[in-house]
Amino acid sequence: MQIRFAGIGGQGVVLAGVILGEAAAIEGLNVVQTQDYSSASRGGHSIADVIISKEPIYDVIVTEADVLVALAQLGYDTVKNSLKEDGLLIIETDLVKPERPYIGAPFTRLAEETTGLALTVNMVALGYLVAKTGLVRRESVEEAIKRRVPKGTEEVNLKAFRAGYEEGSK
Amino acid sequence: MRYPFPTGKNDFIQGNEAIARAAILAGCRFYAGYPITPASEIFEAMALYMPLVDGVSIQMEDEIGSIAAIIGASWAGAKAMTATSGPGFSLMQENLGYAVMTETPIVVVNMMRGGPSTGQPTLPAQGDIMQSIWGTHGDHMLIVLSPSTVQEAFDFTIRAFNLAEKYRTPVVLLGDAEIAHMRERVYIPHPDDVEVINRKLPESEEEHKLPFGDPHGDGIPPMPIFGRGYRTYVTGLTHDEIGHPKTVEAEIHERLIKRIYGKILGHREDIISYEEFELEDADVAIVSTGIVSRSAIRAVKMLREKGVKAGLLKLHTVWPFDFDMIEELAERVRKIYVPEMNLGQLYHLVKEGADGKAEVELIPKIGGEVHTPMEIAEKVVG
Amino acid sequence: MYFKSAYDIREKYLRKEMLPTIFCPGCGIGSALQYTLRAIDDLGMNPDEIVWVSGIGCSSRVPGYVNFDGLHTTHGRALAFATGIKLANPDLKIIAFMGDGDTSAIGGNHFIHAIRRNLDVTVILINNFTYGMTGGQVAPTTLRGLKGTTAPYGQFENPFDIAGLAVAAGANYVARWSVFNYIQGINSIKKALQKEGFTLVEFLSPCPVSFGRRNRMKTAPELLRWYQRITVPLNKAKKMPPEELEGKVVIGEFVDRDRPGLIKAYREYIKRAKKAMGWEE
Repeated sequence: MQIRFAGIGGQGVVLAGVILGEAAAIEGLNVVQTQDYSSASRGGHSIADVIISKEPIYDVIVTEADVLVALAQLGYDTVKNSLKEDGLLIIETDLVKPERPYIGAPFTRLAEETTGLALTVNMVALGYLVAKTGLVRRESVEEAIKRRVPKGTEEVNLKAFRAGYEEGSK
Repeated sequence: MRYPFPTGKNDFIQGNEAIARAAILAGCRFYAGYPITPASEIFEAMALYMPLVDGVSIQMEDEIGSIAAIIGASWAGAKAMTATSGPGFSLMQENLGYAVMTETPIVVVNMMRGGPSTGQPTLPAQGDIMQSIWGTHGDHMLIVLSPSTVQEAFDFTIRAFNLAEKYRTPVVLLGDAEIAHMRERVYIPHPDDVEVINRKLPESEEEHKLPFGDPHGDGIPPMPIFGRGYRTYVTGLTHDEIGHPKTVEAEIHERLIKRIYGKILGHREDIISYEEFELEDADVAIVSTGIVSRSAIRAVKMLREKGVKAGLLKLHTVWPFDFDMIEELAERVRKIYVPEMNLGQLYHLVKEGADGKAEVELIPKIGGEVHTPMEIAEKVVG
Repeated sequence: MYFKSAYDIREKYLRKEMLPTIFCPGCGIGSALQYTLRAIDDLGMNPDEIVWVSGIGCSSRVPGYVNFDGLHTTHGRALAFATGIKLANPDLKIIAFMGDGDTSAIGGNHFIHAIRRNLDVTVILINNFTYGMTGGQVAPTTLRGLKGTTAPYGQFENPFDIAGLAVAAGANYVARWSVFNYIQGINSIKKALQKEGFTLVEFLSPCPVSFGRRNRMKTAPELLRWYQRITVPLNKAKKMPPEELEGKVVIGEFVDRDRPGLIKAYREYIKRAKKAMGWEE
């Protein structure tokens, strides 16, 4: 299973990938997580790849994504061709205008409404992804969030994740 | 002994982090470095951990100083490591030769990026294979290992320390920008379950007297570290078995350099490690090392599905090189493909080994991306 | 001051099998070595706890002649190697025997950073104003107008004042003498060896064969007389206007202070780390 997150620097795209990967590792699955970003710390494209499998993983980067989570147009445009024809496209509906079928929600608005912080958009999107795909268990992701987010921000990130999960379960 | 990271369990970490943790579990207590992409996280992890295990992590003024400091630390009795990438590795070559000549156990990590010069700092490459083998001047011999997964980065780091200590030699761990930053599930063993080899110190009178000799006939003299009363003189000049400079005597130079060659080449079976995939009945073989091996394994699977009898020889040890093994392989298969992230380096070694017994074809790729399995498979199908 | 015979010092500390040395007649390195060994002897230091480190050049051959642990390294890098030795085993005392080119040209960066860190090391610096081993090329210390094979018409660059550089970079103890000033030299080395942090004793040291010969001073006595002409004691120099000091070399004790050395700083750093992690109170 190849999952690709695409956005711009500052959206926490890599952290979302790391947390999804950690959740898979917690479940004992094999997992590879890599990233690609422009040398600008903010504003350039930012891509995080997660490959999850019960079998040993030999791929290094996503070549044919099963799922693409796009949080910004720039990120989407950079990697849209890597999504399989029958792949699942999940988008931030306010910020990405794709030319193919998709599902999604205004993740940034949801983040602001839930936590007051737009930068928790990554956790909202992650929750939505997990609800829609069942790639990993919700509890594994929550454990991974606790391990990986900066100390003191666990609750706010969990809240955002749960909001996204609920949205995805609708 | 308390460790600053969890042991005896799985973790989900980057290659660089895995290398740092492995070094500490292998007994490394001295790290000197200089920041460079994509190896800096090794240094940052060491900076975090070393003081907690009563070790040293120090930022030197450059990479020349970094490797100098770890050689000094090794002679003071510590297991020592530095990590860098292309430009820094170039600067280290002078003292890498010094470590070979003085038979100093050290581990030098080179996380390869695109070169030459500053090149592509954030992107992976395998352009330093030849440099890691032949980068310093003069006839010399050392050990080069190359991992293809984060687990291998961990395991090979421990092995690098053990080989360095066992053979009193510098060992180069040749990773790349991809392994450096890739996160994978890694098993971090409990410290009691890690095999750790420590250098031999001189015990007998003869061992004491011949710190650069061959008291046991295996080419590996015990190492008289400083401060124990051995009163050893260590020099990068050609020296006799006692350590005295002898710079014009041809036979002494020849004896010294041949012993340094011999202590590695004479133990090839112990040092060289590799894995085979589907090679038994293979008709075509792929030979690879490092990160490209991942795509090569997938390529073999794809080819097998299509009915092509392909197999893979995945080299863990890049140097010393088992030319005989390649020759045997060449006798068994029709053709050998060498995918690598450069314009032909490992290829030349394989070609020399094949010795005309099978055709050898290079599958080069530069620019910063690992070959896709399809790129390799397509080349093999023709 | 009682002086043991030089034969006794030689007997006690040199590796007889390595003699004779490579040093030319009239060379000053042997004198500086003798002063260092006398200082060690006077202080009653244990040779098993001392490591001699050097780079490349005539002076760097010294660790080979003394019966101690020794690391004869690459050109200019002695102090970077010393950093590793000292931090890995702080019980060892490090003496670095270095030349002027080794220290201030190829090793300039290691030199200033070792001082910045206040690495616990005693540097005995042989300043002969030239690259003696390679045949008399100019060095970063060569005074303007003096000749070397790579500036055959006379040096056109400005010289480094290595002792001054060490003071500015933060060394704990810095002194400069000519090898002619043997009592001051021995006393300075004794002081340096007893201090923590970076200590440097520089010696103006005759090189008649590679340097003197090209500058109309073919013998050591001529070079010593030249030192007498160009050196100015520090207290006298302080009263002289800068233009009078042009082309002179000031000698004396330039600094003697007690800033914490690298080992002490790193030990405190370990404590800070363990405290930050909650491992220690």
